[in-house]
Amino acid sequence: MRRIRIPNYLIVGLLLLLGGVAGFFSVHFGQPPPQERTLTITAHQYAYDPPILRVNRGDRVTIRLVAEDVTHGFYLEGYDLDAKVRPENPTFWVRHPSQGDEFEEVEEISFVANRTGKFRYRCSNTCGYMHPFMQGELIVSPNYLYPSSIGMSLGLLVGMLWIFRRTPPGGRS
Amino acid sequence: MATPDRIAPTIAPEETVERPWRFDLFARWPWLKRLVRMRSFQFLVILPNLFMFYFFLITALFGTPIGNRNIIIVFVWILWWFVLIAVLVPFGSRVWCTVCPLPFFGDWLQRRALIRVREGKSPGTQNRFFGLNKRWPKRLSNIWLQNFGFLFLATFSALLVTRPMVSMILFGIMIVLAAGLALVYRLRTFCNYVCPISGFLSLYAMTSTVELRSVDKDECLRCKSKSCIRGSDKGWACPWNVYMGKLDRNNYCGLCFECVKSCPNDNISLFARPFATSDVLIKGYDEVWKASIMLVLALSYSVVLLGPWGQFKDWANISEVGDWGGFGIYAGGQALLALVIFPALYYLSIRLAKWYARADAISTKELFLKYSYMLVPMGLLAWIAFSVPLLMVNGSYIISVSSDPLGWGMDLFGTAEFPWTPLWPEWVPYMQVPILLAGFYYGLRGLHKVGRQLFSDPVQLHRSLIPPAVLLVGVTLVFLKLFIG
Ligand code: SF4
Ligand code: SF4
Ligand code: SF4
Ligand SMILES: [Cu+2]
Repeated sequence: MRRIRIPNYLIVGLLLLLGGVAGFFSVHFGQPPPQERTLTITAHQYAYDPPILRVNRGDRVTIRLVAEDVTHGFYLEGYDLDAKVRPENPTFWVRHPSQGDEFEEVEEISFVANRTGKFRYRCSNTCGYMHPFMQGELIVSPNYLYPSSIGMSLGLLVGMLWIFRRTPPGGRS
Repeated sequence: MATPDRIAPTIAPEETVERPWRFDLFARWPWLKRLVRMRSFQFLVILPNLFMFYFFLITALFGTPIGNRNIIIVFVWILWWFVLIAVLVPFGSRVWCTVCPLPFFGDWLQRRALIRVREGKSPGTQNRFFGLNKRWPKRLSNIWLQNFGFLFLATFSALLVTRPMVSMILFGIMIVLAAGLALVYRLRTFCNYVCPISGFLSLYAMTSTVELRSVDKDECLRCKSKSCIRGSDKGWACPWNVYMGKLDRNNYCGLCFECVKSCPNDNISLFARPFATSDVLIKGYDEVWKASIMLVLALSYSVVLLGPWGQFKDWANISEVGDWGGFGIYAGGQALLALVIFPALYYLSIRLAKWYARADAISTKELFLKYSYMLVPMGLLAWIAFSVPLLMVNGSYIISVSSDPLGWGMDLFGTAEFPWTPLWPEWVPYMQVPILLAGFYYGLRGLHKVGRQLFSDPVQLHRSLIPPAVLLVGVTLVFLKLFIG
């Protein structure tokens, strides 16, 4: 009987997919129940403290913003939030970029972290030389993309090494 | 005939690399050929850039020192950089060098002509060149100077990309140096051996989907005049000292198209070809280290500039913070990683490959040089992945700064008040993943392609691929961690 030869691209494609799916499900189960998280983020030239926020999907996140030196911004991608915070002010100004430029004065912002992944919060108020690089990270678990892409990389590695074995060499030694 | 001195001192013996398809673009589009054959072609494409360049120097001098409000910073480090790394290099090889204004004055001093050609007998050519026409020292005829120069500049990148004045001083020095070297040394010495941009252009141009080559190599063997490298009454001797008859990589052809004009046999054409598959031969240690430096810098920038950690930014931001100890740690660490640690890791993977494959017939040196090609597509695509957020997040500055190039409060087109608006920033990671995976994929394919030339035993070949492939997946995972983890 003739053996069926699976085409190379299928092998690589399947392993890529398999790795991605395995990565996805490796973090899909066993999520802790949602909690309330209240924290203060301090902005200073040219970073935020804490630099990385880790929360879980469904958590209610309440953030107070403080500026240490000059006026800074806080543009949180993926959550439609943009804030302006001045030093020595207990309040700060918030807007939703998708709804226009109107800022409203608040004491804290609060949202439910229902979108998973890694999101950056960036300074949106020119605050000095390194301003364009002032940013922090909000990581909402499960961050599916990360384990999936690790799985895809490993799948690609295995798949490519596999098809390399099927390609005869053409060399000299 | 004078044998052309090639750029890399350690040239592997001429080898036939299995070539994929290529498609003759000049044959398909004759107008393109007519265009680049015009004597005035390069002058005409450089001229607007020269004005632009001059304009940027002015804005740096008189405009605001705040980088993201000054056109030089926004146009050079957001727009130009992105277009260069993500479009021009992968799809146009060194086409930036076709239009680059930096060597303009040097060329003019050497030729004393903007458009026409001078016939003559300057050494090794059929043209008349002015200036001293000295040969560049053999020991420096490689890209080591470019490697160290680029690494040095990269150490100050936090200043360079945020301060208009620092950018201006650098470009000013480059244009003066290019002219000065052109007076003393022959041809485009600055471009070949000194220009810090040139190093990574040459390396990453290997992946490009176009190539300028002779149509028929046998024609070159028969050709007496060798006008492509020596020049003629139709075109200047190749400013990059490239001999078309032996050209097998994009690296050191600056796409000036002089040879297309001078070749008497109409034997040169521009070809389209697949991405990252044709030029796979790394020919010298200088190029291996270039690959390492570029990869490590992409990593380091991802941490320092695009990471969340303020400490690194403070260290890198030396002129404002002044923490020389911290700056030392940052600069030293970056150099150590690029020049020693990563090359050592790569060397280790090669030793392992050699041992595991029992590849006694192949020297470690050869394997080390050749397998390093895997770092080329990986590095280029890592740089593109790094540059995507730069453009998507800060691209709106291009709109606002166009109306107020100096940051003086002008409003030329009514867009000066255009607010900073990141474009789909939350989708950036979803773009970075496929880009990185593509880099990894092309890196692996390159590795295999090179390996197939070296080995004839399938088991040996396969075993030799595994350790470097594992290193490459490691590199991919580190970038994934930084970008999306
Ligand atoms: S090598 Fe450098 S100076 Fe020369 S043309 Fe290219 S970018 Fe410009
Ligand atoms: S490219 Fe043209 S000029 Fe150069 S060697 Fe070949 S045939 Fe001769
Ligand atoms: S090979 Fe031709 S296009 Fe390339 S640098 Fe030389 S003359 Fe210019
Ligand atoms: Cu800020």
